[in-house]
Amino acid sequence: MPELENPFQETLLSRHRAEPCSVVIFGATGDLTHRKLIPAIYNIAAAGDLPPQFKVVGFARRDKTDEGFRGELEEGNRKNSRQGHNDELWKSFSQCIHYHRSEFEDLEGYKSLGRLLDQFDAERGSPANRLFYLAAAPEAFKPILEMIRAAGLNEGVNGKWARVVCEKPFGKDLATAQGLNAVVAATFAEKDTYRIDHYLGKETAQNIMVLRFANSIFEPNWNSRYIDHVQITCAENLGMEGGRGGYYDTAGALRDMVQNHLLQLVSLVAMEPPTDLSADSVRDEKVKVIRALRPLVGAEAVGKNVVRAQYTAGSVGGVPRVGYRQEDRVNPESTTEPYVALRLMIDTWRWQGVPFYIRVGKQLPKKATEISVHFKKPPQVPFATSAMLNNSENTLVIRIQPDEGIALRILCKQPGQAMSIQQVKMDFRYSSSFGKASPEAYERLLLDAMAGDATLFARRDEVENAWKFIDQIENAWHKSDTPPTMHEYPAGSWGPKEADDLLRADGREWRML
Amino acid sequence: MPPTNLNDSDLDRLGLETPIGRIDRALKQLWEGDEAKTRASLINLAIYTEDNCQLMADNELLDHVAAQHACRALLILALPEAEQLRARAWIQALCRPYQGKQIVCSEQISFVLEGGNAAQVQNIVFAHLDSDLPLVVWWQADLSKNFEERLYSRIDTLIIDSSRWADPVRQFDALLVAMHAETGGFDVRDLAWTRSHFMRTALATCFQDPTACHNLDKLKNIRITHLKGQRTTALLLAVWINQRLKASLSVELIEKDSGPALQGLVLEGDGVRGEVRRECDSCFVRVSSTCGENTREDLLPADKDSDAELVSEMLSRFHGSTLYSSLLPFVHSILK
Repeated sequence: MPELENPFQETLLSRHRAEPCSVVIFGATGDLTHRKLIPAIYNIAAAGDLPPQFKVVGFARRDKTDEGFRGELEEGNRKNSRQGHNDELWKSFSQCIHYHRSEFEDLEGYKSLGRLLDQFDAERGSPANRLFYLAAAPEAFKPILEMIRAAGLNEGVNGKWARVVCEKPFGKDLATAQGLNAVVAATFAEKDTYRIDHYLGKETAQNIMVLRFANSIFEPNWNSRYIDHVQITCAENLGMEGGRGGYYDTAGALRDMVQNHLLQLVSLVAMEPPTDLSADSVRDEKVKVIRALRPLVGAEAVGKNVVRAQYTAGSVGGVPRVGYRQEDRVNPESTTEPYVALRLMIDTWRWQGVPFYIRVGKQLPKKATEISVHFKKPPQVPFATSAMLNNSENTLVIRIQPDEGIALRILCKQPGQAMSIQQVKMDFRYSSSFGKASPEAYERLLLDAMAGDATLFARRDEVENAWKFIDQIENAWHKSDTPPTMHEYPAGSWGPKEADDLLRADGREWRML
Repeated sequence: MPPTNLNDSDLDRLGLETPIGRIDRALKQLWEGDEAKTRASLINLAIYTEDNCQLMADNELLDHVAAQHACRALLILALPEAEQLRARAWIQALCRPYQGKQIVCSEQISFVLEGGNAAQVQNIVFAHLDSDLPLVVWWQADLSKNFEERLYSRIDTLIIDSSRWADPVRQFDALLVAMHAETGGFDVRDLAWTRSHFMRTALATCFQDPTACHNLDKLKNIRITHLKGQRTTALLLAVWINQRLKASLSVELIEKDSGPALQGLVLEGDGVRGEVRRECDSCFVRVSSTCGENTREDLLPADKDSDAELVSEMLSRFHGSTLYSSLLPFVHSILK
């Protein structure tokens, strides 16, 4: 039956419509499914954006019934749903949730999954699209993808699509990422592969492009002529609570945060304007930024531009905290960094000579992620005698979380007879200006994956180029004969002194958050 | 209606009475010394009414809308028939807590203009706008009196509720004239149209199924159940359906004395049927579609029906649309 446009659909939406589909979640009994994925899908349903005859199949090893699975998810949804939990809606919504028990390596399990999906198609009266969500541990990705292929589930039926969403971490270095990409590529085309980075689903991250390219006052100044430097901070005031130390100690801040989230933010800040808003146009420009990162070759270059550190015992918000090596499930002799600060240079015409300083760490004084763009100081001629001009650059701050918003620091004359200059802040807060809460990042990203819009997902070359850059640093740390020092900072401080020195050497300092 | 219908206790709810010439100073004083409050504004939202019974309801509505959409709110009660010329004003802050600590506030200025004319209304509105922000006006009165070119040429978005019009033919005439005027470049948002948004979304879901979609040409009639007084709302919906289908299905409107504005929509034809049903007090609609022997059902959200919710929802969907404008000539001709 040829596909017909639904005439009622047209004109109702200002975004791509999610297409009818079944979503299969691998690792469905895990935390991500309960805390994020099902509440996100429920909230999509509550907003009326879920496609009709939608199905979710949880795929995992444990023995469960549909009813038992729904009961567990309901509990998670009550706790985690952004819009609260409505019993009437849940009763209807939960009927689309099913559970399928199988080992990840068992081909028979995938064949029976295929029969279940066929059964849904028969109930619908037409074949539907299929979205496979890999929410399992990364080591399970390979067998899952191989089995999906062996069972023939990777091919869309009757012109329908089959897509895969991969959760991070996508590899642990360039070699493993390339290996994983090869396995994914053997199963799904790149256009059907959605590597999720939930930072890109956040409202303010999406707003970076709007801020830059829809406001004519910023883009003409967005270059090395006017910008002195850029800082990106991702601070967390937690450590390894909830058994997180086991995974984290194998990754560290560089792999866990910088390779994906922070380099994505760097790309959004530094990219050239895309020719249009199609997924590939945007991602073409982003990947150019990653490719243009100046290489850090050898332990000496890494030592000069990267500071790694572990926290020692201290206190955050008055609560005592143990040191990193004393954390639960962390190796007492660990050489993993819960803090890293970097100075990056982007070798393009636009960014020549403009450093991007990045820092990310655990057990810092507060939770905050923000980008600050520091403009060059004015020539100072008219105000040469004003002492206030010592710290006088205009700063544009983009707060990613919490308290999403944008602030601009400018200078004003203080009232009075004297020519005194004062810094003032113009502050835009999403929460003050827009009463409605923003959708959760996973809501936006799941809808995009169902609608076939890959703009906010990482492409293969983005991931591999990011790993290529990160591997230089990891190699200097772990394979060099003269590895750069692992520094220390007390929990509750803003990081090691050496991170401050990294900027001080350039005549700059970290912005106070 | 005589202005004496407004009693002092009602007017007290509009805030602090302020001489019109001192409004700006009074607003400034409102914020001085209270650093816990954040003033926010994205639009100028004005409500214009000539019905003094509506004043308090509009006052509450602005409080509700401002909680979702930070704005400079202007509430204008004009009583052009009053013999004595008199203008009074009140100011207040519409505040709401955010995350239990920060207080975010919009400003509201209310006016009662007795014996005023179009020029007076314009002067009052234009003098108290938050500069550089768009002007959204909900014009609750007839479009024939103070609604004139110099006013609407400054409006960015005009909100109306055509279901309230006693003489919709004349009002649509006036609206079309204003829209086609050289200076009438405003967007129109009709609450009667916004009211049907959930029905249109639900109907789209009904025929999302390819089988149902293939049978659309078999549809023959439309049946809409609506609340008494919401005929224009139902007609707009029916015209939209026929326009989308490029067809002329027969339309049956069923009026009810109570319940939500739009209560049911059925599209029927040979072997195909789509139904959207809203039950009283439910914030969901039940959707069912039948093609041959296949029937499927869904539960979808329904927008709330109150004016405050509708205005709030409408402001959230602030992207321009020419769809409503394209329906107007058809609705106009049916009404005639």
